[in-house]
Amino acid sequence: MTKIIPLAAAALTLAMACNALAQSPPANVDLTKFPAKEVDDVMVPVPSEIFAVLDKLGTPNWRAELRKPGSKTTGSRAQVALLLGTVIAEGFIAVEAEDSAQVKEIGREVLTLAVAIGVHKAVIARSKSITEKAEAKEWKKVRQEFDGALQDVRGAMQELGDDDLAQLVSVGGWVRGTEVLTSIVGKNYSADGAELLYQPDLLDYFGRKLDKIKTTRLGKDDLVVKTRKTLAGIRPLIGKEDGTKISAASVERIHQLAKELVASITSPAP
Amino acid sequence: MKKLLFSLLALQVALLAPLQAYVNDALSFAHEAVDPYAKKGFTVRQDAWGGDLGVKDQQALTAQLFKGNEYWFCLGTAVKNATVTLHIYDSQGKLAESESWQKGRFAGARINPTKTGTYYAIVTVEKSPQERTGWAVVYAYK
Repeated sequence: MTKIIPLAAAALTLAMACNALAQSPPANVDLTKFPAKEVDDVMVPVPSEIFAVLDKLGTPNWRAELRKPGSKTTGSRAQVALLLGTVIAEGFIAVEAEDSAQVKEIGREVLTLAVAIGVHKAVIARSKSITEKAEAKEWKKVRQEFDGALQDVRGAMQELGDDDLAQLVSVGGWVRGTEVLTSIVGKNYSADGAELLYQPDLLDYFGRKLDKIKTTRLGKDDLVVKTRKTLAGIRPLIGKEDGTKISAASVERIHQLAKELVASITSPAP
Repeated sequence: MKKLLFSLLALQVALLAPLQAYVNDALSFAHEAVDPYAKKGFTVRQDAWGGDLGVKDQQALTAQLFKGNEYWFCLGTAVKNATVTLHIYDSQGKLAESESWQKGRFAGARINPTKTGTYYAIVTVEKSPQERTGWAVVYAYK
């Protein structure tokens, strides 16, 4: 990795103050000009990006949203991957609740699940760091550690050639985040809160990824099939066009779907 | 879009090592560009996105953004004397950023989304002494 040069940092600060020198970008672009493959991937947000907005809209009772720790580590690889995603999402909720004990427990749980799926080397340091920063109540840093753990786990899976499994981690996190988002918005409905669910391209992206593995062994896993069906069930409820109002009834229905899926993911394997 | 990976299978390494090296080098510059915002209270995502482009080539990165947050997207390249830009457009292709800046191998754009939905961060290599220019993008939110 290239070392940071102090002079470059100074030049950069100067650049930020010289916006006027920057050439004006076009006011409009034709997005169809970009080849499909180049807009096919989506920057998947972490739950705390949504939670940050919820904090601005009101004072959610984050502690009430926390699940009891103690995930099962048995089950198919698909289940463990989905579970890892939900547990990391739980970490973000515990950070919002500023619950050190829960954060530390979740950090250990992430490591346990990572061991179960063979990617623990990637998260040992993260788990330790989560514990240290939770003790110090450095919440912003803990949030970054959970984000880092998510990337490390996914990176390790990709390193092992298991991109599809890595995708399940992201989906698991999204589903748990959505369960909490809809729980909070459902308790005190507002159009602004419900609008946070407007994520059509992200859902389409997850749908495409899950469709792609439909015929594989991983794709035929009962939980993956259920996940695919759940996302397909949620998709029409989040609106088709920008500005579409997402009703309180839709929020409630999405909540039920997400909750059922999270319950399946966190249940012991049959 | 090439999602950054910091290690690959042996065969993939053999095939992709030059691109990976570009991107890994670019990443430290992208982090350098976003660092001032971390000091202003933004949370920097640990994920990053990157690839390589020819001169005048563009790439669109699809991002799900949320109304109520403020974001900084920052771009960097390790190629000396290259000029790269980054601008943010909404799903209709309309410029949506609140401000942007550009300085050689660095660029940044800020957005306060007026609605929740899909946005596109468009990366352009305006000029470069090299045929292909590795780049990386990171973003921060608060």
